Parts: sequence; structure tokens; C-alpha cells
Amino acid sequence: MKKTKIIIIEDDRFLNKLYSDKLESSNFEVLRFLQGEDGLNNIELEKPDLILLDLILPIKSGFEILTEIKNNLETKDIPVVILSNLNQEKDIKKGMELGAISYLNKIDISINDLPNIINNILKKVKE
Amino acid sequence: MNNFKKKEYKISDIVSTVSHQLKTPLSIIKGCLEILSSKDLGELNKKQKECLNDALENTERMNSLIKNLLNISKIEEDELEIKPELSDLKEIIKKIINNFYALSKAKNCTISFKVLNKVPLMLFDPLKIEQVVINIISNAIFYNKGEGFIEVFLEKKDNELLFSCKDNGLGVANDEKEKIFKKFYRSEKTIFLNVSGSGLGLFISKAIVEKSNGKIWFESEENKGTTFYFSLPIIKK
Repeated sequence: MKKTKIIIIEDDRFLNKLYSDKLESSNFEVLRFLQGEDGLNNIELEKPDLILLDLILPIKSGFEILTEIKNNLETKDIPVVILSNLNQEKDIKKGMELGAISYLNKIDISINDLPNIINNILKKVKE
Repeated sequence: MNNFKKKEYKISDIVSTVSHQLKTPLSIIKGCLEILSSKDLGELNKKQKECLNDALENTERMNSLIKNLLNISKIEEDELEIKPELSDLKEIIKKIINNFYALSKAKNCTISFKVLNKVPLMLFDPLKIEQVVINIISNAIFYNKGEGFIEVFLEKKDNELLFSCKDNGLGVANDEKEKIFKKFYRSEKTIFLNVSGSGLGLFISKAIVEKSNGKIWFESEENKGTTFYFSLPIIKK
């Protein structure tokens, strides 16, 4: 059975590894990137099932990356989940308006719930 | 120079930046501990589990401190802003209880949640009210006597939404009842229970609820338990 493919764009190498390890141990295929531009270059090529996107990133912010994903016909339908510790209403609103499917607060979610959260989002997308 | 500094930088802005910076390493520590507790990396012995639970409990404590720090700096500058948006308190409570699962297990108590009648979506500040619910439920967890039961209820009552959190914990002594919403007040029980805290949670909760035009209160009997309540006016537009 084909594994669900996730692209993670997270510049903190510890968090990046933590999320990847958890998802890989739950049978996801994970491609991880520390910089938005690298992630962006691979999204069209890899066509992941879902993208986990941090907001504060070097060079290009998560908001800019999200905008580019949603403006590209090839990638606009890929669900993007924002995973950030920016928790101001304005950030959440902006992320959702730009087309994210969900906005998760890193510090509040349990990493053990992440595989289920992703599966539930993908289930909703398919319905 | 001092005036320049005062005009350029508000304490709450500095606290906001520092809080965000603190959250990243804390997210990593919490994530690593949760991976260990999930047994992904193998079974732990009893002592290791105890040690892990202590560490997890303290990451939650740090998380709560960071959030409260941000709120207290705004309250002190009289800049606590309430930004109402159409929100679902029921879903917020569910999420919080779910996030408290590991901590409540470690502290040997169970949390239930019942919605007593149909509750509407309504206008309130979801992030601020979330912090109030976190402060109240975490107090119920920390002040339980072991094998604690925490029952959270939500109901529509007249033109208000009523939240209540009932525990069978240590309760509040009569001579402390006047003081528990005061800034930095910490119950004498914290000493023998070894509960760490800042004495800010209920002070902040009161400020948030009152600024949202709601009310917050409690009923308590020492050694039997406490019920905390807050109500918010139902406003939809």
C-alpha cells in the first residue's frame, strides 16, 4: 500500500527531526526541509498528500510559501497545515485566509497526536 | 534616554517576543518527552516513568507560565485586549482536556466533560478564554488528592454560557476564600502538596472574564472539593 507522503518545512532542526521521526514511525513517507525555498522547489515535483509548514522561516516566510503554493495550479489543492508557535489571532486569521486547512500551535499539541490529526484532515479532504 | 526607551518599547512587546522565543525549545523538550512516554522508543521502568511524568508536568507548567506572563504584562499596562470572534467554547474545552490527558494521568485523576444543553457559537476572545479554562482545569489537577475526579460542564443558562469545573480535591479554606483571586496569592496547601505555581493564574482569569463582561466565582468546602464557575454573555453579533 502506498504510504501517505508528507513534506515538512520547519527550520528548527530538532523539531524537524522530531516530527519526521514520529510520522515515519507511524508509516508516513516524509520529506523534510529546513528552508522554505527548498521545500517549495520539491512540492511540485513530489506532489505530497499534505504539507506541514512553519511560519517563521529564513529568507521566505511561511506566509509567502503558502501564498506561492496556493497560486500554483499544480500545487494549490495540496492541503497545508500550519504548525507554529505564533498564536496571535491575526496570524491564525491570515494563515487560514491564505488557504491553510488547519492551524496548529506547536506547544499545545501532543506530538503523539500528530499522525491522527493528519489522518483526520486527509479524511475530511477526501469527503 | 529612558524616555526614549519607554516610548519605543513596551514591556508587553518585549515579553511577547521573549515568550515566542521560549516556546520553540519548550516545544522540542515537550515533544521528546512525549515520544518517550508513548513507548515508541521502548518500555520504561516505574522510576523512569515517574521521572518522565515530572518532566512532562513541568513543561506544562512552563507553557502556562509563558502564557500567563504575556497576559500579566498586558494587564499591568492596562492593555489587556479582548478580541471577540464567533467561537465554539465546547470545542476549545475538548481540545484542552485532550491536551491535559498525559498530565492528568500522571497526577492520577480523571477529567470528564458534559455539555448539558445546546450551546451556541458566540462572540468571545477564544485565546483569552482558552487560558482561563486552562488555568481552572490545571488547578483542579494539581490540587487533587489522588484518584481525583474532575467534572467539567458547559450549559446555556438564560442569556449566558456557564462553564463549571467541579473537583473532589483539597478545597479552599474559609480564610483563604477572599484571597485566591489576588495577584501572587498562593494557597498554604501548595507548601505541603509541593505544587509549584506563580499565583497569577486566577488573577489573570478574573481579569480576562471581567473584561469580557462575564463573571467568575467558586464554591468550595475544605477537603471535599471546589467548583469554579465562569459565565459569559451570549452575544452573536
